[in-house]
Amino acid sequence: MPASLQYRDLAVRCVTSACHLVGRSAGDVANRDTSRLELQRTFDAAFISAFSEIFNNIAIHAYERSGEGGLRLELTPHDDHLVLEISDNGKTFDLSAVPAPELESLPEGGMGIHIARACLDELKYTPGPPNRWRLTKYLRAEGEE
Amino acid sequence: MALTFSTIDDDESELVLKLGGQLDALSASELLPTIDKLIAEKRKLIVVELSDLELIDSSGVAAIVALYKRSRAVGTKLKVVGARDQPLAIFKLLRMDKVFNMA
Repeated sequence: MPASLQYRDLAVRCVTSACHLVGRSAGDVANRDTSRLELQRTFDAAFISAFSEIFNNIAIHAYERSGEGGLRLELTPHDDHLVLEISDNGKTFDLSAVPAPELESLPEGGMGIHIARACLDELKYTPGPPNRWRLTKYLRAEGEE
Repeated sequence: MALTFSTIDDDESELVLKLGGQLDALSASELLPTIDKLIAEKRKLIVVELSDLELIDSSGVAAIVALYKRSRAVGTKLKVVGARDQPLAIFKLLRMDKVFNMA
């Protein structure tokens, strides 16, 4: 799809649908207890938050808001986790060089990668071309292995 | 989903800014003229109401932070209320729920 912010909502819908496939294939959602449904809502929100920031990063930084160029999404839902691989041909990026924001100073930027890292179990980036992002998140309660 | 926003005058000194839909890298700039106007009015209190906000990203948070800082600079108090689900989780993650008294 085009790596333009105008397409992010479409991409979010695809990713949301994939989130709904994680851990929900083995039984009827209506039979799940409320704590499980809350866990799934939290999972969806976290994954979408992370994905939105990575999409922004590609559209704004890798392609410099040009609206040109594209990205490819590959979603692999598992029973207990979701893997999303994103590839793009924009400018490369040094993920390890991104500092943690100083939250006490109420920053107005530099929070995107922090949000993505905090919302996922694993965030990987391999410079290209094509550049490859890999986002992984497990559906489990806090403290659960 | 696009950003929706409206202002409700409680009285001359207080105003509610109600946001809905998505506040993100694409839509945050739409708020700028409204923010400029609210800052210029030097109200006593601005309440940012987020119960209809479905999604926020770091750019959307930055817009709220900018409004907060600019409000404070002109002596206007700012409260953020009603956030839920994904937006509330993001404010908590960034520890801004305490700054904005979002209990």
